[in-house]
Amino acid sequence: MLSIIELCINKNYMPLCQNPPKYCCFKSVTGKMLAWRIQVTLWERACSIQRRATFYSEIKMVKVSVKWSGKKFDDLDLDTSESPELFKNQIYSLTGVPPERQKIMIKGGIMKDDTDLSKLNVKEGHTFMMMGTAGELPKAPPKPVVFLEDMSDKQLAQALDIPAGLENLGNTCYMNATLQSLRVMPELHTALDRYQGGITGMDARGNLTASLRDLYKQLSSTTEGFPPLIFWQMLRQAFPQFSQSGAGGMPMQQDAEECWGELISVLKSKLPADSASNQTFVEQYMTGRLTSELKCIEAPEEQPVIDTETFSKLDCHISISTNFMQNGIQDSLKQDIEKHSATLDRTAQYQKISKVSRLPQYLVVHFIRFFWKPSERVRAKILRKVKFPLDWDATELCTPELQNKYSKIKEKLREVDDKKLEQERERKKRKTQEDDLAEEKTDNTATASTSMDVDTSSQKVDWNEFIDQGLKNDVGANVTGQYELCSVLTHVGRSADSGHYISWVKKGGSEWLKYDDDKVSIVKEEDIQKLDGGGDWPMAYIVLYRAKKLD
Amino acid sequence: MKRAVTCLRHLSLLSQVARPQFTRANQLTDGLPITLYATALRTMAKEDVKTTAPAKDPELSEKDQANETKAAKNKNDKKDKPEDELSEEDLQLKSELEMLVERLKEDNTDLHRPALDSLCTLIRTSTSSMTSVPKPLKFLRPHYHALEEVHESWPESDNKHFLADILSVLAMTYSDEGKNESLKYRLIGTNEEAGLWGHEYVRHLSTEIGQVYAQRIEQEQSTDDLLKLALEIVPFFLKHNAEADAVDLLLELEAIDQLPQFIDKDTYARVCLYMVSCVPLLVPPDDSAFLRTAHTIYRKLDKFPEALTLAIKLGDREMIDDDFESCTDPLLKKQLAFLLARQQIYIEVEDAGLADCLNNTHLSEHFISLARELDVLEPKTPEDIYKSHLENIRTGYSSGSVDSARQNLASTFVNAFVNGGFGKDKLMTTEDDSNSNASWIYKNKDHGMLSATASLGLIHLWDVENGLTAVDKYLYSNEDNIKAGALLAIGMLNSGVRGDGDYAYALLKDSVDEGNDTCRIASIFGIGLANAGSAREDLAEHLLPIVSDTSLSMDLSAIAALALGLIFVGSYENDVPSTIIQTMMEREDSQLNDPWSRYLSLGLALLYLGKQDAADATVETVKTIEHPIGKQTEVLLEVLAYAGTGNVLKVQTMLHHCNDHLNKEKDDDLHQAYAVLGVALIAMGDDIGTEMSLRTFNHLMHYGEPVIRRAVPLALGLMCTSNPLLPVLDTLSKYSHDNDSDVAISAIFAMGLVGAGTNNARLAQMLRQLASYYHKEPNSLFLVRIAQGLLHMGKGTMTINPYHTDRQLMSPAAVAGLLTSIIAFTDAKTFILGKNHWLLYSIATAMYPRFLITLDENLEPVAATVRVGQAVDVVGQAGRPKTITGFQTHSTPVLLAHSERAELATEKYISLAHVLEGFVILKRNPDYMEEDE
Repeated sequence: MLSIIELCINKNYMPLCQNPPKYCCFKSVTGKMLAWRIQVTLWERACSIQRRATFYSEIKMVKVSVKWSGKKFDDLDLDTSESPELFKNQIYSLTGVPPERQKIMIKGGIMKDDTDLSKLNVKEGHTFMMMGTAGELPKAPPKPVVFLEDMSDKQLAQALDIPAGLENLGNTCYMNATLQSLRVMPELHTALDRYQGGITGMDARGNLTASLRDLYKQLSSTTEGFPPLIFWQMLRQAFPQFSQSGAGGMPMQQDAEECWGELISVLKSKLPADSASNQTFVEQYMTGRLTSELKCIEAPEEQPVIDTETFSKLDCHISISTNFMQNGIQDSLKQDIEKHSATLDRTAQYQKISKVSRLPQYLVVHFIRFFWKPSERVRAKILRKVKFPLDWDATELCTPELQNKYSKIKEKLREVDDKKLEQERERKKRKTQEDDLAEEKTDNTATASTSMDVDTSSQKVDWNEFIDQGLKNDVGANVTGQYELCSVLTHVGRSADSGHYISWVKKGGSEWLKYDDDKVSIVKEEDIQKLDGGGDWPMAYIVLYRAKKLD
Repeated sequence: MKRAVTCLRHLSLLSQVARPQFTRANQLTDGLPITLYATALRTMAKEDVKTTAPAKDPELSEKDQANETKAAKNKNDKKDKPEDELSEEDLQLKSELEMLVERLKEDNTDLHRPALDSLCTLIRTSTSSMTSVPKPLKFLRPHYHALEEVHESWPESDNKHFLADILSVLAMTYSDEGKNESLKYRLIGTNEEAGLWGHEYVRHLSTEIGQVYAQRIEQEQSTDDLLKLALEIVPFFLKHNAEADAVDLLLELEAIDQLPQFIDKDTYARVCLYMVSCVPLLVPPDDSAFLRTAHTIYRKLDKFPEALTLAIKLGDREMIDDDFESCTDPLLKKQLAFLLARQQIYIEVEDAGLADCLNNTHLSEHFISLARELDVLEPKTPEDIYKSHLENIRTGYSSGSVDSARQNLASTFVNAFVNGGFGKDKLMTTEDDSNSNASWIYKNKDHGMLSATASLGLIHLWDVENGLTAVDKYLYSNEDNIKAGALLAIGMLNSGVRGDGDYAYALLKDSVDEGNDTCRIASIFGIGLANAGSAREDLAEHLLPIVSDTSLSMDLSAIAALALGLIFVGSYENDVPSTIIQTMMEREDSQLNDPWSRYLSLGLALLYLGKQDAADATVETVKTIEHPIGKQTEVLLEVLAYAGTGNVLKVQTMLHHCNDHLNKEKDDDLHQAYAVLGVALIAMGDDIGTEMSLRTFNHLMHYGEPVIRRAVPLALGLMCTSNPLLPVLDTLSKYSHDNDSDVAISAIFAMGLVGAGTNNARLAQMLRQLASYYHKEPNSLFLVRIAQGLLHMGKGTMTINPYHTDRQLMSPAAVAGLLTSIIAFTDAKTFILGKNHWLLYSIATAMYPRFLITLDENLEPVAATVRVGQAVDVVGQAGRPKTITGFQTHSTPVLLAHSERAELATEKYISLAHVLEGFVILKRNPDYMEEDE
């Protein structure tokens, strides 16, 4: 700093005015102004070094005030005989507003560098109003904002994260709803991508698979409703029952469950097998195993027959007493059969009790709402309200062996949940305390919040040690026995041949997407819970659960 | 009723002087033109005076009428009345009267005097009820003609005069219609005080004076004797609670200026109230004569605030200055200063304290303290306003994952309107690092940045010091739009307040002539907003060259004309009108076809706001312009000149314009839109007129051309700003679903205007529904958002209604600002939905807190209890009627809704203002004693 002053003095810059303790100004012989903030001591030293430095003492000084940004700075010296630059420098030292940004209001305009202060007729105690910015100026963001209006459809689709719907081609809502529900499984997409076949061949089922693959690809690159023409063509080729048409040539309404079942069967046979396990997607991710025990009721001593079979969906049987999905499923897993008994040598009552011995990643539950009413010759619908959970513990359906495998992880999960709950409670409690505190002392909050952060971050569970190894190796099986609802296919209407199908798919968080053909909208979780039937509102027909992910 | 309807047929409001009787008129409001009713009723009432008694007493009246016809047929047949069932007392009276009459007929002059005396005593002392004619009069009826003859026969004497007096009284019940014999005999009578003969007589006399006066004026005869008599009667009326009659009488004699000499402190309030309420029903020049007379009365009694209000209403600058200067009480003067400041009338004063009041310097401070008191200081985000979780449909557009320039722009405006004046918000002025502030600006596209930066001006409205600093940093931006926005913000935040220097102009004047067009336009508009209503000549000098330079682009010239219109609103005595007209004439047709040309018209028309026939010459001049702009300007000029006058003739003219079904291809039809707006503007501020035009609009909506239909919602919005009347809301809600998207857009914006600053829950619900209805139409949704922002303007603490001070005064700056944005909607695609949405900020000039703040002698806020309730019209009501109804008691500061009134609920203070609105200075009541507990 000292060297700067020396430099100035050497260069014939003259110290003009001194206003300790902060700054001083120099005036060069050419009239150029320079100002630095220096310390008083430094200033005095500078002066003692070079006596040539003389002070202007007999300047006409007026005491003025400056208002800036709601603050008022009193007792400023305004040298009316000098250029305004000096005054501005003085203000700079107080406010930090650089002189070139200072706009000081004077009568009839702004104080410019060539304004003659002596002509302003400034009175003692005058208050100037100043406008100016101290510090940094706002900068444009480094990356320009991209607007909705500037995007192409494809970009928009990605950005908005609202998938496209499928156009109704004439009572094809059953198909649209099925396709959208199935689309929720990302593993299906990868499996489809691996499928090599095209649509050219004579293999109707292969064509169907290929067209499904293409359809899903096209869907993910548009926001507008998409007409699934090719897929529909292929579907009708492969399964002629869907090309029935009613009066007037209009395609007839079909059962979504039938479509679902056929599609799954096609996928099961056509999708390429995984190289590691040599199983297809459907077998791996969507197929479970049931272990059933067939007992003769009338001859308890007869050896029960143990049998295993696979399933790609669980039925939920709706009886007069069914109120919950779980009950319905359990009902359907318990069957009474009349059968020839070897030991009794006659037809006897048998009971077949099935238990699940493998839970797949994706579990389909089919509500058996339609039944054939012979008297009226229609497939009537059961409107009964059957509640289905958003989070479902399916372990009760399992065999004791499988339940055993799940017990460890289940316990851990519960433990973690409890802990979370407690933390939440704790946090709330603390928050209310904090609020009380905050009223007294505002600056406490900062410390409190940091301590809280520490709490949450310390938790990290290594789930691997709780997961049964056997399950872990079985790719595509549910390792926890816990499910969350990820898609619901609903039907509204009174019979299977009429009404409307809608698909509801979980988007994330508590948001769901409602696919009503090409109309896609976002709905809330509460709306999903209303789909349990009991009236003329869409009611769940096929629901798809996926294994809960461990975080 | 029947009589009223017949009267209606014969009456034309246009040709006859309306004599209102408000109280009665108010009872009959069933949708019919109430102004006419008032007149009809008044006339009816006067007729009733003559027939009151018969009408109420059917038996008697039949007889009387029978007598009357007989008497008319056979005048000499004097005694033919069947005297059935008269009581003894009556009989005695009757015979006594007959005896007296006989005595007068006799020649014995000595007996005449005593006979007259006893007649006089009998008549004067007789008591009468509302339902019957006084007995002596009734019994003397048959002798009327006889007495007349007697009077004829007598020589000139005292007795003759005396008899004339008596005849005059008798003529009240007898004389045929139109003969005005009461008056005739009165004039040749003794000149004794008329009041001695009773109130009914005086009223009758005043009716006849009016009739005779009209006749004589027609025949160009002298009316001095009538005037003299009237001036004798007036004090009687005033003394006996018949101020209305007194005023009416003098009005009919065209001598209203004689009134003040009779007024004292007991009568002035009622007289002036009646007079001021008459004004909308009078034809010029009576209306201003009334105001001036009322003003004189107020001044005579040193009622400065009232007087000043009238002076402002008259728009008489000298009178305003005189009122202000004549006030010697420094505290009262400050109160006057507040009143002037509200109207944005600037008077140069020495005293700094007074200047602060005049300059509105502390408006921001008080507004924020009000916000603190009401606990609305916390900034609101646009989402707080949209409440989109309550909307039925949710789409990705609102999910916030991608920025939509259109929706962000809407949020910018919403944020600005909602947090306007609070100096704090959550988008623009966040206190984190300076870069995050800018980020919101950059979330707007191109011209959107202009509006985003300018929104700072609205957020810091009235807060010059902090506002300027907040805006400053954007002045250095390389982006022209941001720089222009900052310039506009500087202008906007100075709107309605004046610093001790002229900050806005000082900062903006350099950029008026330099830089690119965007910045120039923004600074010109900014200057206009900041100095609206100031009529500063130096600004005219600076801006006029821009208007007249035909080489400049149209938008630049138009905006300069508009700025001048804002600055010189309602003052045309300078170079501005001629320059604008000249530009219109000189510009090429192709340039005039530019949508911006409408602001040339508006700029010119604003100069004549409320000036009535002063605009006539200019109207004639613009008629010569061949380009359609001539026609547009002509209509606009007429509209603005008669804004707020309720002039029925002008409304008719405007409706005539709307009648034409023009071919849009060939003819320009913009002037029809102006005509529709004109109906609203002319009828604005007058309840009856408003109601009538609402009906008219209904027709226009049914049968009008598209251009008219588009303007109707705007007109509704203009007429009911910040006054969410249910029927208007319903109508607008209907229009907001119109097939014509322009109608819908206008309607949505109008909904915003109607609800501006009210937080009306019903309207909020409607707008939310509209938001889901239009969720796929960005333009409509944009307007819905803006309307939502307007609705919650200042978090519900503001009004944009140009009427203030008990709806007596119209703020010209506010009207100018409102019109600027409304006219932008006559071509919404170019202006609001295009690149010039910043025109919406012109509403800033109309924004004002709808508060009542009470200040003590040191101008510090002081809490006082006040009653707030619906205003009641008390004109002409007897006694001391309540001026508000359904009131609640609050402690100041309080918010006042449209048509609400406040009164002090404590004796502790005396208010210096006559209307409790805005800033009110309270003085301690010296007689007040704390009640002992």
